Amino acid sequence: MTALLPHLVRRLGFYLLAAFAALTLNFFVPRMMPGDPATAIFARFQGKLDPAALDAMSTAFGISDAPLYTQYLDYLLNTLHGELGTSLTYFPAPVTAVIGTGLMWTVVLAGTALVIAFAAGSAIGAWAAWRRGGLLDRIAPPLLAFIGAFPYFWLAMVAVWGLGFQLGWFPVRHAYSPEVSPGWSLEFVGSAIQHAFLPAGTMIVASLGGWLLTMRNTMVGVLDTDAIRYAQARGLSPRRILWHYAVRNAMLPSLTSFGMALGFVLSGALLTEIVFGYPGQGYLLLQAVRGQDYPLLQGLFLTISLAVLAANFAVDVLTLVLDPRIRR
Amino acid sequence: MSVLWCHRQARVGLILLALMVLAVFVGPLFVGDPDAFVGRPLDPPSLSHLLGTTGQGQDVFAQTIVGGRTTLGLGLVVGLAVVMVGSVIGGLAGYIGGRVDDVLSFLINVFLVLPGLPLMVVLAAYLPAGPGSMAAVLILTGWAWNARVLRAQVASFRRRDFVEAAIVAGESPMRVLIVEILPNMASLLGGSVLGATTYAVGAQVGLEFLGLGDLGAVTWGTNLYWATNDSALLTGSWWTFVPTGTCVALTGLSLALINFGLDSVTNPALSADVGRGAPGPQPTPVRRST
Amino acid sequence: MKRSLLLLFLTAVGCAPPSHARPEGVVVVVQEQQAAWIRNFNPFNQTGGARWPSAAGVYEPLLIYNPMTGAYTPWLAETWRWVEPARVLEFTVRSGVKWSDGTPFTAHDVAQTFALLKANPALDSGGAWRILLDVTAAGDTVVFTFAAPYAPGLLEVAHTPIVPAHIWRKVAEPTTFANEEPVATGPFTEVRRFEAQVFELGRNPHYWNEAAGDDSVAALRFPAMSSNDQITLALAQGDIDWAGAFVPAVERTFEGRDPAHHDAWFPLVGDTIFLFPNTTHAPLDRPDVRKALSLAIDREKVVQVAMYDYTVPSHPTGLSDGYADWRIDPVPDTDNWVRHDPEEAARLLDQEGFKLDSDGVRRSPDGVPLSLEIATPAGWSDWVRAAQVIARDLRALGIDVTLQGRDFTAWFDRVTKGEFALTLGWAVGGPTPYRMYKGLLASEGVVDVGTAAVTNWHRFGSVTADVALDRFEQTTDPATQRAIARELQQVFLDEAPALPLFPSASWGEANTRWVTGFPSEADPYARLSPNSAPEPLLVMSRLRWRDAKAAP
Repeated sequence: MTALLPHLVRRLGFYLLAAFAALTLNFFVPRMMPGDPATAIFARFQGKLDPAALDAMSTAFGISDAPLYTQYLDYLLNTLHGELGTSLTYFPAPVTAVIGTGLMWTVVLAGTALVIAFAAGSAIGAWAAWRRGGLLDRIAPPLLAFIGAFPYFWLAMVAVWGLGFQLGWFPVRHAYSPEVSPGWSLEFVGSAIQHAFLPAGTMIVASLGGWLLTMRNTMVGVLDTDAIRYAQARGLSPRRILWHYAVRNAMLPSLTSFGMALGFVLSGALLTEIVFGYPGQGYLLLQAVRGQDYPLLQGLFLTISLAVLAANFAVDVLTLVLDPRIRR
Repeated sequence: MSVLWCHRQARVGLILLALMVLAVFVGPLFVGDPDAFVGRPLDPPSLSHLLGTTGQGQDVFAQTIVGGRTTLGLGLVVGLAVVMVGSVIGGLAGYIGGRVDDVLSFLINVFLVLPGLPLMVVLAAYLPAGPGSMAAVLILTGWAWNARVLRAQVASFRRRDFVEAAIVAGESPMRVLIVEILPNMASLLGGSVLGATTYAVGAQVGLEFLGLGDLGAVTWGTNLYWATNDSALLTGSWWTFVPTGTCVALTGLSLALINFGLDSVTNPALSADVGRGAPGPQPTPVRRST
Repeated sequence: MKRSLLLLFLTAVGCAPPSHARPEGVVVVVQEQQAAWIRNFNPFNQTGGARWPSAAGVYEPLLIYNPMTGAYTPWLAETWRWVEPARVLEFTVRSGVKWSDGTPFTAHDVAQTFALLKANPALDSGGAWRILLDVTAAGDTVVFTFAAPYAPGLLEVAHTPIVPAHIWRKVAEPTTFANEEPVATGPFTEVRRFEAQVFELGRNPHYWNEAAGDDSVAALRFPAMSSNDQITLALAQGDIDWAGAFVPAVERTFEGRDPAHHDAWFPLVGDTIFLFPNTTHAPLDRPDVRKALSLAIDREKVVQVAMYDYTVPSHPTGLSDGYADWRIDPVPDTDNWVRHDPEEAARLLDQEGFKLDSDGVRRSPDGVPLSLEIATPAGWSDWVRAAQVIARDLRALGIDVTLQGRDFTAWFDRVTKGEFALTLGWAVGGPTPYRMYKGLLASEGVVDVGTAAVTNWHRFGSVTADVALDRFEQTTDPATQRAIARELQQVFLDEAPALPLFPSASWGEANTRWVTGFPSEADPYARLSPNSAPEPLLVMSRLRWRDAKAAP
């Protein structure tokens, strides 16, 4: 294990550098765009704003006239202290509070959907590879590819209309019923699960095909190896061979993708949130962009970039640990 | 290509794609102006309007056909561009190695960790609407993945005996790349283009649905945007919503099917899929000598 | 075993269909479009930071202007008068009003509110201190002295929300004060519940308005909805009782779902939507060219395609029905360039030297093709559609027209700076035509290209109009005001500074299954739309929960 340390340190170093690059990009990209927060405020008033009030508001919002590099240094220092500033569109709420409204829900919804899609997709893919050429293997990949090829929002809207509106089986908006309040009660948890059915369900159905295919193709290669033939010759039960040996070996590429996808969970599921009115980071990001809300935009990009980098790093570590070939 | 044709699924995919391309590039000559107000709003499909009319009384069939031209056209162009950018940067990184590789890899990785959809939204919101901006946004957010994959492949090829031999024999790096390495990566490049095209079409439609594209243009994405705007589903006007969505799905399906065939060609273990009918379940795949 | 129990539980939970029932006395309102609520009831943070009810349900103003009656309704002030016409205004505050914490409301609170705005310009978004000189309270009267005679200033003063002096004098930083537990005079002041997804305001225990004495409506509930689509769906399902959203095909999507209870009413008393030409940009600097463009536009088609026939083509003067007794009616044909007459348009352009060549392209005398770009905010679908129809109509004249869509703030930035050729836009409204014509014609609103202009994006100034506007500000006599308004309309008709398209509709939807009392076309006591604070207060005082025993 100690032999891995210099390699790990090098990877960590790279990720810290990438984090710094991401922070810098976070700062400059919004400022390179036309318009500015003051104009955005002006716009929201549809021109009825008194110019003196606008100036005063800009000062209150902290929109500074200082040279760019001064602002940049302030920004870096503040970020390191965890001070993400005050949101402009949700003035005067701090950015951390605004992000907090959606973070939990994003993690739970997108995270759960990802885990279920990955587990189910990989399991079905493994089985399809095992029963090569069988019914499942011939039908599942093209069918799921077709379903996954529909634009996600299209599937979501049809689900909302069909299952939610016409049939009334599922709620069509929000994370929980307005009749219950958040808390650790059975009613709340039940309501939250009920409201997550359609959003998570559509996300899972749309992404199942991808996981299935990755697993199936890798599995087919693994099943073709001598190791497996040897195990079969030894008389080990097919079940044991499939789950204990084949899947474990075939997991690696899927796991890498899974790790990366996990990192992106924090960027929220914008289209899901829009169609289902589900709270989350994605829509906050869209609003921040539209409202030229630099602090909120920076805060959101920061959480997303850090999550992605952390997930990447975790995947790298996991790969190093799991794959003996790389250690050489 | 002939191997692809033998693969049943790939064959279906190729035919489907060819039909769609034909429909959207030749079709517009036969349908009227999609922007013209030709009928009563929200009319169901009938003989005069095969797919009915939109909320403004425009012909849905014309909009679907003409819309495909921009969407598919831009999708294919962007797909190719993404792979080209990716292969140049990835290829250089993988081939030259050393410092150049470090710098380019870093660049690739930074772009990879930037969250795609948010970045797309930010860019699309500020650039003036139009196909050029859309292409720029899609290429900028999509090239890194291909670059990484191609870099790894070129790097592994670089160390192979026949390449080393060519270098020792005095072949120029350009010639080595183009003559020795690239042909071996043909199927990987092909698969990448298919994947990148799928991504380009899907991302376009997604951005336009959010209202971030050129709303004045007729594309599959804007068709869906306007249909949603007119509360297509709530008014029961499924014909404004279903055909375009299905076309996008069929495009994705055809590309996926061709990709299945391409996988079989590259992965010898999967090559048993080629030309198969419906054999019984077997625990061990039959290896075909390649 | 455990796994199957879990599955069973999940299925059971999932299987209970969602209910659409409503707890007693809770009225569901949707006005703001937000994904998540932040707790802020500071009525002066109207940039989207404060919740909508802050200025329409929690805090109240002195008077409320009602466009349906064309008069001011006394609210926290019982009477008002001009002590010195257009210069000194005196209000007598209502007696017997209490703040929601029981403290009596006095004229001192009014004076202190304005002092607060003076000390914190960032809160003075209405620009009250731009026109005021002094505000003093004595007994139960408040006297406002204007810096210069300004009769229209009544609106700014009348509509300012009044806050309690005894609470706000203790606030260190009023600009960033979120006012999470509001103390106010309005009908709904108690925050019963506040979550990111939904918040509820309960009744004010000390509410003064006996006409609204029926406590049957216990609370207003505000679910967070971020898009028009969600609101439309919720309206269709009957989950919202009161909204002000643009609903496409409203007869089918909303009213048709429950004709007995779903009511949509969009009176045309809002601000007019214009096509603004940049008058610094040749050849749009010539009135006849502008009139020609206007004559080419088929407004009926615009209204049908872009606005689902919810509105009608604009009156030639640009004034909507809300100003019916101010308008020159009828406008003689020679003055009317707000009609569809492509032949006349072509004739005017020919006359101005822009003739059609053999290819059907209209060129200037130098041979340069006449080419114009229409700027629109990319996400405003109704405006995009309107622009598309206008573009087609102008192209039929031989003009090369392109559409340029940009994200809202980018678009707004450019148009306020005068970096455009043609753009859609809104005119400023108000109790009288004064504000609209000031925005369209006043020279003081004209700024250089490159500097952001508050109203006059098209950069047109008329000296005749300046004189008339000045006289309007000095007089409080209705007859004189109407005469001056006709002069302004004449200048507008002569000069064509901007092209009126259609009056915007005041969007309002109501569901009377659980609650009654909403205004409607049959009972237009106020606007149904919750979009113009403080008018919703007029509606809130009339809402009654339906008798549970009576079958809905």
